[in-house]
Amino acid sequence: MSTSTSAPQQGAAQAAAASTRGGNAGRKQSNRGMWLPYAGIALIILYCLAPFYWMIVSSLRRTGDTFETDVIPTPFSFQNFIDVFDPKNSFGRALFNSVLVAGTVTVLTLIIGTFAAYALARLNFRAKNLSLSIIIATSMFPGIAMVIPLFKLFTDIQWINSYQALILPAMSFALPLAVWNLTAFFRQMPAELEQAATVDGCTQGQAFRKVILPLAAPGVFTTAIIVFVAAWNEYIIALTMTNKSDYRTATVAVTFFTGTTGRDIPFGSIMAAGVILTVPLLIMVLVFQRRIVAGLTAGGVKS
Amino acid sequence: MTTLAESAPATEARTPLHGGGSGRKWRRRAPLMPALIFAIVVTQVPFIATLIISSLDWNILRPGSRRFTGLSNYGTVFTDTRLRNAVLNTVVLTASVVLVSLLVGLALAVLLDRKFLGRGLARTLLIAPFLVMPVAAALLWKHAIYNPDYGLLNGTLNAVWRLFGADQGPTVDWVSDLPMTAVVVALVWQWTPFMMLIILAGLQAQPGDVLEAARVDGASGLQTFRLITLPHLRQYLELSVLLGSIYIVQTFDAIFTITQGGPGTATTTLPYEIYLTMFRKYEYGEAAAAGVVVVIGTIIVATFALRTISSLFREEGNR
Repeated sequence: MSTSTSAPQQGAAQAAAASTRGGNAGRKQSNRGMWLPYAGIALIILYCLAPFYWMIVSSLRRTGDTFETDVIPTPFSFQNFIDVFDPKNSFGRALFNSVLVAGTVTVLTLIIGTFAAYALARLNFRAKNLSLSIIIATSMFPGIAMVIPLFKLFTDIQWINSYQALILPAMSFALPLAVWNLTAFFRQMPAELEQAATVDGCTQGQAFRKVILPLAAPGVFTTAIIVFVAAWNEYIIALTMTNKSDYRTATVAVTFFTGTTGRDIPFGSIMAAGVILTVPLLIMVLVFQRRIVAGLTAGGVKS
Repeated sequence: MTTLAESAPATEARTPLHGGGSGRKWRRRAPLMPALIFAIVVTQVPFIATLIISSLDWNILRPGSRRFTGLSNYGTVFTDTRLRNAVLNTVVLTASVVLVSLLVGLALAVLLDRKFLGRGLARTLLIAPFLVMPVAAALLWKHAIYNPDYGLLNGTLNAVWRLFGADQGPTVDWVSDLPMTAVVVALVWQWTPFMMLIILAGLQAQPGDVLEAARVDGASGLQTFRLITLPHLRQYLELSVLLGSIYIVQTFDAIFTITQGGPGTATTTLPYEIYLTMFRKYEYGEAAAAGVVVVIGTIIVATFALRTISSLFREEGNR
């Protein structure tokens, strides 16, 4: 990655740009090439974030100011955040349900997924590729096609309005995601690690537990975040398998908000709920950004 | 990695590398079984049940009317104008969202595949829309952006109009006037980061020495991109298109939240139509048949996706 191949006209500032491995900008870069990408990125970040900003602003307006279009709400009001927890919305309960369901799904998925992924990454057996295909294909099944028989089944065994009716189907989406992600992680690890451990007298199980698992911890952690997000976002199962507000998750509850009269839509509360549902996730993403990006791109990145 | 991966494809069937007694082999396989069996039970069994239901004339409002009708539900799916309209809407929605977000995602990935101050932060902010709860995103677009009275779009139009001296900007009711476009734009916003991440992974997997060689040989940036990067990215682009289509075909929450399939049936896609058939008309048989059609369509697309994924993996192994 030497900069010595650069043409003389390239200034010191450009040496930094040239040291990017891609070097897509080429050598004919002028000063224009320096700010253009920045401008592009700024524009795109604006495009990605403007909707969030507007949501936060709308949630902070007073109920009477709903129709204002000022960029900064004056005066500020947190009334919407109080309204959203009004008992008639059962939003608090719904948040609890969401955390419970997504948390359980994450833990169960990781336990099963880690074993499955390790087997797929390291062992050779005849049906390996078929197994991987079936597991991945599972994640591509449209949820709506599963809802019909599951709804019928859960009605018969009286699971409608129960946590297990939300957790089990969600796992069928989460599991392929976890297996796919973890398989990529395990494949990245050199097989010599286990071979060395085996030479030193470990069984394969011990090698997995004492050598591989600690090293895979970052991968497992990333997968946990991704699975949690997927389970947290699940909608169609949560919508169809519940009809009592006690078991609704936050995703469904927020679409069932009602205003004081039957017809008006509680925009302020909806925006406040939106902030509550997205901002913690956004902060989590910011904190764990490196790991999440690494996880989402696992398998493609050479390290 | 090397010893395992290189010998795997050729010798796998005949001489398993980690061979041994069949008992030992099964002990190795055992950890895989819970996941596999679970995945099969939870998805394949319901699918078979869907297949069976799809051959029944079964409306829950007419108790005792459940009977076998063969393929007549499928006849309804393909002849009924509502369902045909839903299929068409699904194709239009999926194709537009996939193509637009792919192009934007490619541009973003190229921008992000270089070092600059705050790259990590920019990348995080860019993937934010993908990680946000789809329902919250849909509500956000419906109320905060498209709302005719205080949405961001009309607010911006107002501000621009006032800048030029006019009193009031045009009041456009985006969701009623341009329902399909409204849904497409919201979904593109949400799916662009997904496309970007796959393409970015492809860009970063590019062998640096080839790019270096191209630069030494005097290729311009554009030439390098067109002749080296783009062919290298082909697989990743295919993968993004296939995976994107598979997931976007299933879109339900955005339709349910933003337009409720309306106005009329302008944005009623197949998943939403199935939901209506099942929970509003209680025609279980018809809903199941439509579900089977979605699954078969998905399987066809997924077959291509799996082929791309496995060829990517093979390349990884050969490295």
